Amino acid sequence: MTRTRPSRRELLAGLGIGSASTLLWACGSRPSAVRSTRGVTSTSGEVRTWLRDAVARLAVAYPSVHALAVARRRTTAAIDVLGAGVARARREGLVLTVRDREGLWREQVTSDLSQAGVLAAVRALVGTSTRKATIDFGPPPAQPPAPPRFADAELHDQLETITERDKLDSRIVYAAAMIDLDDANVWSIAPTHDREQRLVRVRKHVVRAAWNGTRPVVSEAERSWIGGLDDHALDVALVRRTSQRALELMTPGVLEARERTVILDPSLTASLVDAIARALLTTASTRRPDVGRALVAGTQVAAPLVTLVDDPTVPTAYGGFVFDDEGDPATPVTLVSAGRFMAVLSEHAGGGRGRGRRPGHTGRLEPAPSHLRLAPGTTAHAALGDEGLLLEEARTTIVEPGMSRVIIGAARARELRGGQQTGRVYGEVELVGDLRTLLGAISGVSSDTNVSSYRDDRDGEPRWRSVEAPWVRTTGLVRLRRGFA
Amino acid sequence: MITRRDLVRALLRRSVADWIVLEHAQELGVADDTHDLRRREHRTRSTVIIHHDVPRGRGSARLEITSSSDGDALGLVDEAISLAATTVGPAWKTAPPAAPAQVRVLDPALAERDLVEAAAAIARGVRMRGSGSSVSVAATVLRERITVQAKSGFHDEWLASQLRVEGLVIAAERSLEIVREARRISDLGLAPAIAAAQADLEQLGEAGPPIAGRADLILSADALLHGEGLGVWSVFAAQAESIAERQGITRYRVGTPIAPGANQVDEPLTITSDGALDFATRSNPVGDDGDAIRRFPMIERGVSVGLGLSVREAALRGRDPNGGVRNLVIAPGTWHGKPGAGRTIEIRRLHALSIDPYTGDASLELALAYDHRDGRSRPFTGGTIRLDLVSALARARRSATTLQRGAYLGPASVWIDGATLVV
Repeated sequence: MTRTRPSRRELLAGLGIGSASTLLWACGSRPSAVRSTRGVTSTSGEVRTWLRDAVARLAVAYPSVHALAVARRRTTAAIDVLGAGVARARREGLVLTVRDREGLWREQVTSDLSQAGVLAAVRALVGTSTRKATIDFGPPPAQPPAPPRFADAELHDQLETITERDKLDSRIVYAAAMIDLDDANVWSIAPTHDREQRLVRVRKHVVRAAWNGTRPVVSEAERSWIGGLDDHALDVALVRRTSQRALELMTPGVLEARERTVILDPSLTASLVDAIARALLTTASTRRPDVGRALVAGTQVAAPLVTLVDDPTVPTAYGGFVFDDEGDPATPVTLVSAGRFMAVLSEHAGGGRGRGRRPGHTGRLEPAPSHLRLAPGTTAHAALGDEGLLLEEARTTIVEPGMSRVIIGAARARELRGGQQTGRVYGEVELVGDLRTLLGAISGVSSDTNVSSYRDDRDGEPRWRSVEAPWVRTTGLVRLRRGFA
Repeated sequence: MITRRDLVRALLRRSVADWIVLEHAQELGVADDTHDLRRREHRTRSTVIIHHDVPRGRGSARLEITSSSDGDALGLVDEAISLAATTVGPAWKTAPPAAPAQVRVLDPALAERDLVEAAAAIARGVRMRGSGSSVSVAATVLRERITVQAKSGFHDEWLASQLRVEGLVIAAERSLEIVREARRISDLGLAPAIAAAQADLEQLGEAGPPIAGRADLILSADALLHGEGLGVWSVFAAQAESIAERQGITRYRVGTPIAPGANQVDEPLTITSDGALDFATRSNPVGDDGDAIRRFPMIERGVSVGLGLSVREAALRGRDPNGGVRNLVIAPGTWHGKPGAGRTIEIRRLHALSIDPYTGDASLELALAYDHRDGRSRPFTGGTIRLDLVSALARARRSATTLQRGAYLGPASVWIDGATLVV
């Protein structure tokens, strides 16, 4: 199951305290006392010295050694119909990874990124021995540029700007906006390399909810990137469109469940691609025989229009990086080429070619996508549809193991006839079918694309990724999601 | 490095209406067969909660830090105060400290033991049970010392343990994932979990396609508790969230039946949140906001009677805090656990369960189920069941047999009449 957007609980958590507390923004005035946020760390050189020393000592006892350290700071500002606030969290950590001569991997992890903390972690692996291997680490890499500083008031101003420009209809029962910054400084040092990266991941998100009959309709919009807080904005038109979508009246009556031509908007395409990559296209999933036997290199698994690449090198991509959490420099991996299965994402520790990522940079290593790109076509998306349904705004996507069944939830389906929208709109629908059939039926891919981003947790640590996807035309069974016993 | 003591000292130097400092000093051991990995982790996480009173009301802030965060403790406290000043709302007073819940949350077998060795022993034990199938696991064992200190003078600390085992059982070219969480090694129940997975893998080999249509449903334990935590019962935890209730976006209000007629069925539903249940995974003496955890009824005989109340929500409602919704204790019923005379679909396992926490609408994607009809039973895989979970569980017949797993204590299976299977 895939959650594609921040939950309301996450928004509320941004309001300052715990998971279930809404704090009122009493007078609507700016906070009177604010301090500029500090940089993640001003001691990069010190950390490097400790890590180099650790690697040199570990290399005496172990043939394979890697030190990964992170200093991370998260700032979340949120405003909703009841209040506003800012929450902060700081995390630091060090992972020392060694492989002994019997082939067993050992990890020593600590949240204490101080000289004493690094030393204690080294001692846990090599005891009190102070012998060091002679390693030429070379000159330290250039320090990554620090992002511009900002004050809490700037976050509040931006949130209020997002909110004020959208004159809310009285039917909107819930409205919220959130800005989320994850600022991470990451060091990776091994006998063969010394690397450092600064990743500032920014998300700006709005959500609107209105009642439609007896059920709430929720609409969301988001922009996300790596870079500065002000590099991109949620433009007014997008925010207003989000409100309009929440307020949109659905066509009464029943949508007959049957095979139809559908056009998936980029959020649905992204949700599908993300679910496929995580459920099927990693070494963790291909250990399952029902997945592994369906994926033989060179097998046609989708229409020839489909080429899928995991590319963390795309500048400013939310899921991108300079090097992964095993220290490997970012390189694109082609997963599907012209519809043929090519490769899965794999980590070195699992015997693969590298795409090892750790939740929060210190969690347990897992093969995971970074920035997936589904190659665009040559047709503008408006020209893709003639007859059928345009499915918009992803909900939950489920991909069952073994390339079998897929269920793609959408907030609404718009009827198309003669290349025009008829005005009929059905709420909460799903596209259901055999995955290989659905991918094989792709008959159109738009030239224009949008980016969706994902941030979820594993063991309380975040995982960041993004998908650049076009509009896609295919066929499948479409039915309403609602219709309960 | 900022320690808890530094934080407390700094807080005492500032004029703050109320504060709480929580510290989690954690050790983890991981044994992961798949990656031939042994992982040892030490981490300390501190949380500072500040309530700051100004003439226009009270503001609150929560800051989370790891042990070696840069900067001084006083600077951090000032930062928290300035954050609290941005969130001023109606005034409220902190309730006087109450006695922590008396609950056991530490496995005595893990009090002193090396955690990597404990995790490796669990993994070894699982491998030995894998005859006829391949079983690989990753076992994580956590031991933590939690310390809570408040401005009121309240001070408490305790040790807790938590285990998590993720396994992949492979047989006959098929696989099933199992996940178990517990506070004690003896509560993991891995042997029956693996045996059930092996049996289900055999059945999957014979499973046919689903046949659409109306049927009664039996949700057995693995389907009932799909995923991590409370499974289908989590819908009631969401409905008992006091913030959502105050905003009027819950399905039902306190004092009303949870669904029309829910209080008039043969065996009305009764649910209690019990954060003081020994060795349950969501038990603790004190909650995340430093408030004492209390057992409280959420639903009594089909009527909503209680909500999870944080310190602030309780104060605004003039009530005592209870630490929020924790472990769920569901009163068992009298149903014997067998299919009825008509068509009955017995759901053994789900691929996925998605629940809208506000409407209670749920989609159950079936991984393995039995179609009982005319005295015969046929395994199948695939298909979707859609339910209004609140209404369906309010009317469901609950088994007399009970099950305790993780944060759940209640019937081992339930019977729901009149659902539709779609394919």
